Amino acid sequence: MSKKVSEIMNTKLEIISSNDSVYSAIEKMIDRRIRSLLVLPKDEKDDYGVVTVRNIIFKVLTKKLDPHKVKIGEIASKPIIAVSKDTSIDEIYELMEKNNIARVFIKEGDKIIGVVSFFDIMAHILIERAKT
Amino acid sequence: MLEKLIGGEKLEKRALEYIQNYLKIFISAQECLKTLLLTEDLERSYCIENLEREADSVRREIISTIYKGAFLPYIRPNLCTFIEITEKAFDFLKTCAFEFRYINKEFYKDIKDDVVRIASINVEMAEILYKAFQSLLKKDNLREKNLAIRICEKKIDELKLNLTEKIRQKEITNFWEGKNVSDFTEALAKISDIIEDASDYLYILDISLK
Repeated sequence: MSKKVSEIMNTKLEIISSNDSVYSAIEKMIDRRIRSLLVLPKDEKDDYGVVTVRNIIFKVLTKKLDPHKVKIGEIASKPIIAVSKDTSIDEIYELMEKNNIARVFIKEGDKIIGVVSFFDIMAHILIERAKT
Repeated sequence: MLEKLIGGEKLEKRALEYIQNYLKIFISAQECLKTLLLTEDLERSYCIENLEREADSVRREIISTIYKGAFLPYIRPNLCTFIEITEKAFDFLKTCAFEFRYINKEFYKDIKDDVVRIASINVEMAEILYKAFQSLLKKDNLREKNLAIRICEKKIDELKLNLTEKIRQKEITNFWEGKNVSDFTEALAKISDIIEDASDYLYILDISLK
């Protein structure tokens, strides 16, 4: 039986506000050696978003925009793809392949509680292989 | 690989069976700790002591069988060292179970998720270590097992960091309560270090036998 996503998810989420500058996102990513940040909703009607290194490179840096002046809300990808913590890991593979995404967020109710990235999936597959 | 060197002698076969049995007891002790931390049923903490005693007697059998003449002399100390490394993990399992009996249960609520997750990964690591030993015997791919153990250890390092951050935010007013939590988490996170050392040692043993 396939494991549940909650067993391999990363619960240490790095977050950023929509009103913060892209430069502060770059600082966070470099300091913590991560490739994405969860963008908090502006208000109750707004959705969670995600800002990745890819967004920053192609929407700001290569367009020669000033990362101090561009707000996270302007470049974040919304809405994010999120699943329940009871979802099987097999379903996550399908979701990633079908939507061509590198990470899937995990929610409990309306709250985001974790994230599973390609790296977590690769680690999981290698561990399962070693157990056989 | 070892099978090639043992030549099917009785003593060697017995020693290898003992080592596999020892590693199975190690897995059982890890599972026992995981159940204890999940259910918070203190009765479970005593099964770890029982398994440790059982493992102790198997360890003595392994060492005495080896020194009765099993294996070529240059392999003997290597196998004994592997067993001694694993033995240290039993000490940490015992410490963890002992300290858990005295942990403040209100405090534990806030760290339970991380603690159970570490214990679950420890069980997986113990299972992979057992498979790694079998790979050594079958001349199978030990490198993959070693990598999987390193991945698990990295995950535990991250969880430990998370756990330490949570603990630091709590106010601890009593010396013994602080020592108890510190000893408990330290012992829990050390188990994976020991398994990683044991796995590295198996890998070196595998290379040295080629």
